[in-house]
Parts: sequence; C-alpha cells; structure tokens
Amino acid sequence: MIAATEIRLVLVTPETTLLDQPVKGLRFPLFDGQIGVLPGRAPLVGRLGSGALKIDTDSGSETYFIDGGFAQIKGTVVTLLTNKAILASEIDASAAETDLQAALALVPTDDAGFAEKDQALARSRAMKNLGGR
Amino acid sequence: MGNARALVKRRKAIRNIRKITRTMELIATSRFKKAMDRAAEAAAYTRKINEIVADLSQSDLTFSHPLLEQPAETKNVTLLILTSNRGLCGGYNGGVLRKANAELKKMKSEGLDVTVDASGKRGISSLKFEGTSIETEFTQFEDKPSFEEVNEIADRYLADFVAGRTHRLVVAYQSFQSAARQSPVVETILPFGDLASNETSASGVDYEFLPSSEEILAEIVPAAFKARFFKCFLDAGVGEQIARMVAMKSATENADDMIKDLSMKYNRARQTQITSELSEIIGGAAALE
Repeated sequence: MIAATEIRLVLVTPETTLLDQPVKGLRFPLFDGQIGVLPGRAPLVGRLGSGALKIDTDSGSETYFIDGGFAQIKGTVVTLLTNKAILASEIDASAAETDLQAALALVPTDDAGFAEKDQALARSRAMKNLGGR
Repeated sequence: MGNARALVKRRKAIRNIRKITRTMELIATSRFKKAMDRAAEAAAYTRKINEIVADLSQSDLTFSHPLLEQPAETKNVTLLILTSNRGLCGGYNGGVLRKANAELKKMKSEGLDVTVDASGKRGISSLKFEGTSIETEFTQFEDKPSFEEVNEIADRYLADFVAGRTHRLVVAYQSFQSAARQSPVVETILPFGDLASNETSASGVDYEFLPSSEEILAEIVPAAFKARFFKCFLDAGVGEQIARMVAMKSATENADDMIKDLSMKYNRARQTQITSELSEIIGGAAALE
C-alpha cells in the first residue's frame, strides 16, 4: 500500500459545510490539548476542545477558531464537526474580552456551573488570543 | 357613467393587489430557495453525526444516556409549537395549530401537565385567542434561524429534561418531505428515542477513541439532539416559504381572473353607455326635423 500523501479536511457546522479542501497538515484542539494531523494518520474519533484550528495548504496557512464538537479521521479524510467556526481574522477581540470578563465574574455553585465556567473561560480566552493577532 | 367609473376604480385596486401578491410570490420563491439550501447544508452535519454514532455502535458499548431513556414517570410534558411570524401563507399556520391543538387536547385528557411554548406571532395570537396559556414565546425566528439562537433554547430544554422538570418534549411543526410535499407533524424529540436507528452502516474501521467511546457517546447524544432540534426550525422555515409561495401564486392568478372579468364588465358598460348616448343624439336629431 502506498502511503497517503495528502489529507482532505471537511469542516462542518450545523448550519453549513465551511471547508472541504485538500490540506498538507492541520492542528486542532482536542479535549485535553492540541493534536497535529499529517497524511497517513490512523483512524480516530475524538472530542474537540475550544481553540485554534490551523491549516497548512499549498497556498499558505489559515487559522480558524473552533468551539467544541467532534473529530473523525477516516482514511484520508479529516472531518471536524463543530458548533461554531470563525476565521481568526474575523474574530472581534474586544467582544471576546467582554465575554472573558463575564466568564470570570461567574460564581458557580454546583458542578455543572463550574464546568460551564471552565468552558466559557477556555472559549473566550482562546478567542481573545486569536483575535488579538 | 357611474357604474363604469366604479368598475375602473375597482380594477385599479385589484391591479395594485396583484402587484403586491406577485412580488410576495417572487420574494417567497427566492427565500424558499435560500432556506432550502440551508436545510440541505445542515443535513451534512446530521449525516456525519450519524456516521460517528454508527462507528461507535461497533465498539462494545451499550447505548445508555439520560437523553435516550424514558423517565420513570411521564407527568410534565412540554409542547413546542413552531409557526410563522407573518401571515399570508395559506393554511400553513392553521395546519400546524390544528395538529398541535389536537395533541394538546389528547395530552390533557391523559392527565398530563402540559407546558406550551410557542414560536411565531401567528401561533401565539391564535393560541391566546383560544385561551391557551403560553409559557415562553419566541418571535425572533424569521426565515433564517441561526444555530446559535436555536441552540440556546435546545440547551434549556436539555437542562429541563436532565433535571427531570420535563419528562417529554414534543414539537409541532411543518415537516418537510420534498419541495412538493410538506405536512404538519407532532414529534416527540425528547427522550431522544433510538439513536442508532439510521441507514448508515458501520464502516468497519478500527478507531482510536479520544478520550473513550463512552465519553464520546455522552457528548454526541446532546449534539445529535441539537441537530434534530435545529432541523425542526429549518424545516418550519422552508415550509413557511413554500406555503407563502403557493398561496401568493393562487392569489395572483385569482387577481388575474378578476381583472379580466372586470375589464369585460367595464367594456360592456362603456359600450352600453355609448349606445344609449348615440340613440339619445339620434332621437334628438329626429325630433328637430
């Protein structure tokens, strides 16, 4: 079997299919940290975290912000299912800052609240960092 | 002359109405196409979710999740009714509301405690007229419901269901089967029913699950629910535009018929008038001789 030399990235949100293109490699956040995918990756199903999705293509690289969801790698196709995906250049950094402050001000009282706060913090921090660039 | 004048006036008014209905038809057509495209694009997400579910099912895993299970007792039921904000769309709202009211009556006769939520001004005012009390009203959904907005509502229902405040969530909406076929339906979407019942067969690929297949399942069930919930809104949006398109098309055709009819009546009236004037002149001339 010839080793795969390219991968195809399909980025899907509930509203639309944002990307469906061949890429050289990509990096995205899983629930516990970043993962990098190059051609020939073994099949995987994983839970996504919030953060930056970086894509390397022939014409350069692109950065998206993605917010949770699932990743599926099967053969040469990488499918990312996410609730929200925004091009990094379109992120409103000041709005993210406001969100971050709002998340910091949350006072959770139960487990679900703490989880929610953590999620909101991770999301707004990632968004702010990406938007600042 | 009075009669002919009145006919001209009436014909003019109908021409104006025809212009409006024709424009509305065109607008509805273009909106319907857009809504349809959105619905088609959204289907990709559902398809992928189903694929992952099918993949999960081949790993040794029992599908157990709070959202999939019927609660021990069914007492509190939430009925969400999706209607449109605007009228002039034929029997669209009427159909959905008729179905919803029948369901409401049935559930009440079973002794269930029903909470009614409604989306769309038309449905809200009609329900109020019938004296149904509405718990939550949504009027923000036009022909392009965004996932974020729908998600908020879905989150609330999920929380209610998990906490046991609601034992069943039922949605009444116009379901979309094809461009020529839509029908109002009442669907139970929580408890979620059979997650694995889909036509996608497992691919036979040996996956690495991160963190684990159980945790993926725990996450994917709400995601699948949200996708289905969102689809209800999309379907309703498409249905509304189709209904409006059809209603406005027949309104335009009726206006055309009326204009034709009135034109004929007017011409006849004018001819009668001319004839009578002529005979008056001739009569006058004959009298002078």
